[in-house]
Amino acid sequence: MSLVINMPALILERLPLPSLQTYISFSVVMLGLASFYAHQTVNTILNFNPDNQIQEELGLPQELVNITLPYDRDEHFLNMVYIMRVETWCIWTLVNSCYCLLILFGKLIQNVVFGELRVIEKQHLKDKFWNFIFYKFIFIFGVMNVQSMEEVVLWLAWFSGLGFLHLLTQLCKDRFEYLSFSPATPRYAHVKLLSLLLVILLTSGVVLVGCFWVGINISLTIFAFLAAESLLLILKCLYVVVRYIIQLWDMSLEGVWESRAMYVYYTELIFELVSLSVDFSHHLHMLLYGNIFLSMASLVICMQLRFLFYEFQRRVKKHKNYLKVVKEMESKFSMATQEDLEQNSDDCAICWEKMESARKLPCGHLFHNSCLRSWLEQDSSCPTCRTRLSETTERDGRNPGAPGVPNMAEGIVAPVNPATTNHFFHFDGSRYVSWLPSFSVEVTHTNLLPGQQAHATQTSQLDNMAREVQAVFPHIPQQVIMEDLRLTRSVDLTIDNILEGRITVPPLAITGSGHQRNDSHSSISGSSTTSEVSSLASDSPRVNNIPLNNLDNSLQLTEGSSERIRQSENQENSYTTTGGRFSKSATERMSMLESRKHLMLEQARRRYQEMHENQEGASSSSVDPPLIYTTSEHLRQIHSESSTLSTQEDELSRRRALLLQATQRRLERQTD
Amino acid sequence: MAGSALKRLMAEYKQLTLNPPEGIIAGPVDEENFFEWEALIMGPQDTCFEGGVFPARLTFPPDYPLGPPKMKFSCDIFHPNIYPDGRVCISILHAPGDDPMGYETSAERWSPVQSVEKILLSVVSMLAEPNDESAANVDAAKTWRDDRKGFEEIAKVTVRKSLGL
Ligand SMILES: [Zn+2]
Ligand SMILES: [Zn+2]
Repeated sequence: MSLVINMPALILERLPLPSLQTYISFSVVMLGLASFYAHQTVNTILNFNPDNQIQEELGLPQELVNITLPYDRDEHFLNMVYIMRVETWCIWTLVNSCYCLLILFGKLIQNVVFGELRVIEKQHLKDKFWNFIFYKFIFIFGVMNVQSMEEVVLWLAWFSGLGFLHLLTQLCKDRFEYLSFSPATPRYAHVKLLSLLLVILLTSGVVLVGCFWVGINISLTIFAFLAAESLLLILKCLYVVVRYIIQLWDMSLEGVWESRAMYVYYTELIFELVSLSVDFSHHLHMLLYGNIFLSMASLVICMQLRFLFYEFQRRVKKHKNYLKVVKEMESKFSMATQEDLEQNSDDCAICWEKMESARKLPCGHLFHNSCLRSWLEQDSSCPTCRTRLSETTERDGRNPGAPGVPNMAEGIVAPVNPATTNHFFHFDGSRYVSWLPSFSVEVTHTNLLPGQQAHATQTSQLDNMAREVQAVFPHIPQQVIMEDLRLTRSVDLTIDNILEGRITVPPLAITGSGHQRNDSHSSISGSSTTSEVSSLASDSPRVNNIPLNNLDNSLQLTEGSSERIRQSENQENSYTTTGGRFSKSATERMSMLESRKHLMLEQARRRYQEMHENQEGASSSSVDPPLIYTTSEHLRQIHSESSTLSTQEDELSRRRALLLQATQRRLERQTD
Repeated sequence: MAGSALKRLMAEYKQLTLNPPEGIIAGPVDEENFFEWEALIMGPQDTCFEGGVFPARLTFPPDYPLGPPKMKFSCDIFHPNIYPDGRVCISILHAPGDDPMGYETSAERWSPVQSVEKILLSVVSMLAEPNDESAANVDAAKTWRDDRKGFEEIAKVTVRKSLGL
């Protein structure tokens, strides 16, 4: 038997949650109401004279009479706080206000450090959030069996703070991993993230000290619970910090840092094992303390214990394998001699870096010590020639889904699978007692979609804008237009940028640009269009003449168009085969790659069309007029749009119209 | 692991930019994430895929080059060794441990000495010569074996579509 209980989370996520602003204003109003109520009550009580007999007539609520304010008249505020603590609804209003502040604080941190969150980060946050709520709910009501209001509020405060720090750490971890995927991360991004991590670390350290205070003054059991949780947080955070520092150190180094892999490995191992054992004893403590055998909570905790135990076992096994590999490697494969290194001029085939020291395999192939080790951990053959190196090396499966219990851990070990959007807890009751049911609690994350959609609409809007611009300037590669649009966010501004020569088109892209036109034997070639544009931009009175001269040239050129096409094709061919240079700037690399792709596609399209034209007997000379008209229509549109703008822009659009008319006249004369 | 993977991917990107093999362009989709690449592959000459330009996505694991990337065509392509959803099924993309088809010797499978360039070249030769023994798309394998003309017709449509014409 197996049934799926979708946690209320699912419903909650589908509910239209109020916007942040609505929530904040609601909280402020509630807080205002509560303070007003408290203020009024304090006044009423203070003004009430017990000797006065008109008490009954005033209709003073009976219960208020019994309240004696702890402070004097002068300390009005403290009295108000006292009243608020007595009234249940006031307490919840205060709690709500605290949450509101926490959310605002979180937003502030997000804006300062992270900026826009990525989809995957949001998803992890949600995952963690619901997971946390689920377990802490079980803890408060299942294990601690909290009854009184005061205790609930205290536990709530503790877990909210803890959860907040946990989520921030998770966010930092995700962001760190993301940043380490890119070589071109600005320094300040690292600095911001690292300082946030250090602040979290410091805060959790303070929290831990606070736990000791609790331990001394209140109860050792509570201390153990609190300390275990803050210790887990500290470990998680410290792990990210250490990994981060190793990563930054490595990035700043040229070449290979041989022992890096070892540092990373041992950091991971130590942190994993320590936090697994802390988590394990924490859960064991819960189970024993709660005295809750055979309740729902105990089942969940038992499952968690089992999972943690398997995780621990798996980790230890993996480590044994690692040690074995290292030992075997060191005993079987000697380090390469200086002579070997000199003879071998190749780089290490695994990391493609130079080898200053290396290990030599029996087959004669050389690799870095660390590169070879990480390969041998998963396979036992030479990467280059596939010679089997040992028969005994036990292959540690790379398949991550090995243990049967899905991950429920809060700890740093949580392997996150970015592909799945579901988080589920599976409970197989029949493993314990035959009549127990099996069930899984599944939290489905449907909220993933809106974010993606938003992103999609954003890009499609840009696409549309780019198409509009490209209709006017077909010779400018779309990538270049997109880039400018991303900055300007306006079709008009981008068009102006092009007209005034503020957009630089990569020279190679210009060579390829004319082909869209050449395909249909249109008369304006790319290069002439650009020169028209540049002449327009210069403030010369001969605006009419220069473009016409250029047009003359281009028209002559198109007469021998087939020859021209062949020429440019050769140019392109040589371009795609020899490749470009490898720029140091990431944006330049990107735009070059984009224009290369664009070129390849254009070239393929033209070839395809040529081939088919040849097959069908080439009869398509009447295509050009409509093309010109669409362009002119666009220009007219731009004209009418920009006429409302300043006079300077009026001047520009007038020139555009002039250019347009001239082009059309020329064309007509040509066809006559 | 991401650090050494990043360095290696950078080196491969550089090599592919300076010395691109005929009819192949590849690079990161966005340099903010170097582990997601896009490649354009030209259909090999004198085959039914000639003239097409096929875009594909490559997704690298954080421990690259110890593990192979995943490759998926982002256009429709009807081919015996390409799953209907676009995933490419060739032995070079399989980790040494797993062998879903049971046909490959480990010598053909992934090893860190392979590279993006070698993968893409294998894909080009796969386009030229489908391997219908380990079919990922059974329909395509059948059509290729029994109805070569029909296969070529479909390929022609694919080529046309890939050019956006
Ligand atoms: Zn190496
Ligand atoms: Zn070898």
